[in-house]
This record gives sequence, structure tokens and C-alpha cells, in this order.
Amino acid sequence: MTISKLLVANRGEIAARVVRTAKARGLATAVLRHVAEQEGPAHLIADEVVMIDGPTPVAAYLDIPQIVATAKKIDADAVHPGYGFLSENAGFVAALEEAGVTFVGPTSEVIDLMGDKVRARAFVEKRGFPVAPSAIEDDDPATFVERARTLGYPLLIKPSAGGGGKGMRIVREDSTLETEIETAHREGQRYFGDGRLFVERYIERPRHIEVQVMGDGQGNVVHFWERECSIQRRFQKIIEETPSPALSPEQRDEICETAAGIARAVNYRGAGTVEFIYAQDGAFYFLEMNTRLQVEHPVTEMVTGFDLVAEQLRIAAGEGLSAAQADIPQTGHSIELRICAEDATADFRPAIGDILLLDEPHGEGIRVDSGIRDSGKVTTDFDPMLSKLIVHGPDRAQAIARARNAVQNYVILGVTTNTGYLDAILAHPDFASGDVSTGFLAEQADVLTAPGEDVSTLLMAAAALSDQRLVTDVMQIPEMHRKMGGWRN
Amino acid sequence: MRRIFMIAGHEAECWLTHDGSRFVLNMPDGAVPCQLVPTGAPGAYVLRTGGRAHELRLAVGPESTFIHLNGSTFEVGRVNPDDRLAGREGTAGGDRLLAPMPGVVVSVAVKPGDAVTEGQPLLVIESMKLETTLTAPRDGVVAEMPFTAGDSFGLKAVLAQLTPQEE
Repeated sequence: MTISKLLVANRGEIAARVVRTAKARGLATAVLRHVAEQEGPAHLIADEVVMIDGPTPVAAYLDIPQIVATAKKIDADAVHPGYGFLSENAGFVAALEEAGVTFVGPTSEVIDLMGDKVRARAFVEKRGFPVAPSAIEDDDPATFVERARTLGYPLLIKPSAGGGGKGMRIVREDSTLETEIETAHREGQRYFGDGRLFVERYIERPRHIEVQVMGDGQGNVVHFWERECSIQRRFQKIIEETPSPALSPEQRDEICETAAGIARAVNYRGAGTVEFIYAQDGAFYFLEMNTRLQVEHPVTEMVTGFDLVAEQLRIAAGEGLSAAQADIPQTGHSIELRICAEDATADFRPAIGDILLLDEPHGEGIRVDSGIRDSGKVTTDFDPMLSKLIVHGPDRAQAIARARNAVQNYVILGVTTNTGYLDAILAHPDFASGDVSTGFLAEQADVLTAPGEDVSTLLMAAAALSDQRLVTDVMQIPEMHRKMGGWRN
Repeated sequence: MRRIFMIAGHEAECWLTHDGSRFVLNMPDGAVPCQLVPTGAPGAYVLRTGGRAHELRLAVGPESTFIHLNGSTFEVGRVNPDDRLAGREGTAGGDRLLAPMPGVVVSVAVKPGDAVTEGQPLLVIESMKLETTLTAPRDGVVAEMPFTAGDSFGLKAVLAQLTPQEE
């Protein structure tokens, strides 16, 4: 099939990013906009902007019938879902298929399989790929304790019906296993009305490493190397990089080949990411597969030189992969920083405001995927991420230096952002040495939010001298009084 | 002329004067001559003080001045001494319900004129993907509910106002 017009069913920086590549490929482009939504960069550069309705802006972007109808109405022959919203919704894909519109992504069956964490894990394990050793109570309640014991300590007990960390218990010694299981039964019953448990090996100070894969749906799958995403706050990544400083070349090949193998096992079509938990001893285990483009895909583009959205569009148009595995390099080092409107000193509380001044960094090895414009408004209608700052350098040390320089020169005035916090992470010696885990930000919270050098005199002088009314009033005080100065009134 | 600024959660007081040739910033622990010179780019200035020239970017918002200096961004709140006094009196009786963080109003349970008792739900808000029910801080009568369902609001926005308590 050929694609001539693409509807991007997303917003913000990713909508703008997808539109740019689609236009470069000669496609007509359309994006969506809700009444309550500020005009963003995507609305400026897309050929067409279609207004959508909904009680809230988020609800409109999740409205499957409306978006499918929009695609039909404007004669779009393909829809790119971006990330988030409907990007991993099998029902959306099925509705598009029914309407004869191409979905830029995998089949609804694969989305369905990978969307069910227990089924996905069982599938991957059955095909012989590594998952964390575990025992499921339901398989045979009578032997549950015995099977748990054979996994080796430490263990993590989880309620089968659980989520969000509730009712999870870490067991480090065999002597406490049975009492902990009993307690977990009661807690599961209390929290979820369901006492069933499963137990898996607890990974101490894990890293989060993921692999970018791309398949043509005809059995051909390549990987675009790994990304290290251990720097997380509130279980969300805020700094990603590639290559991972944790992997040796042999481990890198092993983890990337494992990911490609998993994608091959489902005859994967489009861009996907296989996420792994990586233990301090070098063992790694399948965590989940995300069947979409990731927020952090630009670091992969920086080291491989490939445009992953262009690859997605090629595959959707039936043109297949543009490269064989041997032709996909991993050159230099890339780091992405997620610039968010939030207060890192107040538990990452989202911030709102008007953007009074915006001056984004640019230069060699610097890329900014931005969803904001000067004089725009930042609201809590959507995710607090405003933009992504991506840098590339010949090696990790130079990439970090470049990232620090760029984030320090990222001027966003009018709304609180995390630029200073991101810089503090980059400046931390443990980050520089690559010795981090997913618990790093929580462990180092005090260091990372410590106030810097006291510049309050400079700030007061600048604030006072830029206050036009104050300056005018001061200048109008008669000479004699002026000379008195000081604190007398 | 006196000014009170809020920097990183702390109030700081200063007094701006002009000695005929230059501005002087007076603070409780000293005074420094200072000069702010625009350099051409939007919001770009050089601040000259204490024999040093500091390049900065600056934008004046409705309540705060935002300053980008030495690679960091600072928000300097401008505190109006009159507002500060009024605010203290206004909140003493627990008349106003202020937003603990920015968010969206999910539902509103009462309307102006309604009598409410302490602890009675007034409205439900959503912030950071969590719903929170805000309740009446005391017995009283609702004076104002400035937001309706679907509205978004900022930090410290007045979400509900009770009529002042009678003595």
C-alpha cells in the first residue's frame, strides 16, 4: 500500500517530531487540536489541523470513534499514534483496520499479547528467553512455599491482584519465608480482596536497560542497540542514554540479540522496545515489551544515524526495513534530558504558568524536540513534559559535558522547570561514573535538591532594577531625600 | 523605596535608592551599587554590581520575576507588603480554601449560599493523577465557588470561600 496522507493522533513534541519526518517523506500531514489546547509547534507545521471535542483535552485524544472518523473524514490513509494515548490500544488498531486505515505500528494481536504482563511474561519464558525466576501460587498452592524456596534469596512476594507496590514484601532469610507469605496473604486479601500471591527473585539495585527493535512483519527484525533508563523519578524516566555504561561489548550483543529474538518470536511489525531488569551481577530479565515508539527514541537516532519515524513509515507503507543489522552502527554517546514543568524541590509537583521567555539551546551535537512556544501557556491538562533535550558527543564524558552546557543554557522563564535538577544529576559523581540504579534519584534526593551558591543579592538587584514602577518612583524622590537614602522613611 | 522579595521560600527585604549617579540596593547587612543594562537580545541584561558584570536573562511575570543566571533559573516572588497583611487576616478565620497544588476540578458539591459543616466535602480536584476531596475547614456558609468541573487552577488558587465568621 502507499501512504499519501498521515494523521498524527498525538500532540506536543512528538506530534511535531512525527510531522517533520512525514513531510520530509513527501506526505501530507494532519494533527489534532482540542479547544482548550494551546497552539503548539505541531499545529504550525502540519498541513492541516482538525479540531476534536471532549469533556477534557485528554478524553478527546482517547476518543477512538472520533479519531477514526476524523481519519476517514480528511482522507488520511494512515495514522501515527506517537506514544501514550492510543498508541498501545488494541481496540484502536482494530477499529482502524476495520475502517481501512493503516495503523503505523504492530498488529492488534501483538499489542494485545504484550499489553497483558502475565501472558507476555509466560510467552517470553516459554520461548526460552530470560525472565526473573518466579513461582506462581495458583499453579499449585500445595507446593508454593517449596517452589518459592528453590528460587534463592532475596525474594519478592507480590499479590497476584496487586499493583503500585502495595502488599509487596522482601524476604531475605529462609526462616521468615513462611510467616511473610502468611502476612502477604492477609494483606492481599485486605487491599485487593484477593490473597493469591506470586514470588520472584528480588533484584537488588537494578538497572533499567531496554533495546530498540524494528520488524517488517515479514519475519525480519533488527535491533538499534540499547538505552539505559535507570534515572527515574516516580517510576518515570527523566534521563536516558546510549550506550549503557553498564554493558561490556559481549553483554551488549547478548541483550540486544535477546530483544531481537523476542520480537522475531511474535513476527513483530514496526518499532518496539523490549525492556529488561539488569542486575548488578550482569544477569538480565525480560520486564515487558512496549509496542510503540518511546519518548527516548532520539538517543538511538543520534548514535545510529537512523530516523526511526522514517523507518516506521517505510514499514507501514510495505517498503520494509531500510538496513540490515550489520549496517546499523552505534557511534559516540547520546543523552536525553526530559524538560518538565515541575518543582523538584517539592516532590515533583507539576507547575503551571505562562512562558514569558524561551531560548532553547542549539549548536553542534544538540537537538531539542520541543512542544512549547514562546508566550505559550503551561497547564496541567497534559503531561508535565515540555520538551526533550538530546545531545551527542564522541564519548560519554563529552556527552555529559555537552548536556550540562546545553541544559544550563536552556532558558525557560515564567514556569518552574526541572532544568536545575537535571543539571544536578549530571554533575553527580555517581552519574559520571555510571554507578546508578533505578533507586538513584530517591537515594540521592537531598544531594540533588540542595541549594546552590547564594546569589540572592544579585537576584534582588535584578528584580528591583527591572521593576519599572520602582525605578520610576526612586528617580522621582527629590535629590535631598535621595542622598539621605538608607532605611529612613 | 522598600521591596520584599520571596527567594527559595524565604522573604528578603531591600531598599532601592539612587545617589544621584547610580542605583544602590540597601539590605539589612549592607548596601551595593548596581546597574542593569539591556544587551539587545530579548530579556538579556548585564547586571553590574560589586565590580562584577553578570550576564542574565530576565522576564517579569504578574507576581514573580524570573531570572536565568549562571546556568540556573530562579523565581523571585514580589511580595506586596499590603497583600501580606491582608492575607494574614483573611486566612486567620479559615475562610478560604487554597489549592495545595495545580490541578483540575473534577466536581463541585456545593454552591454559594449553602450552609456547610466542618469536614463536609466541597469539591473534588485532580492533581498528579490523584483525586482529592477538599472539605469545609469549619461550619459556615459558602460565599464563593470560583471554579466549575473541568476548570484548571494554579497553585494557591482560591477553590472555595466561606462568608466571614461573625464575631
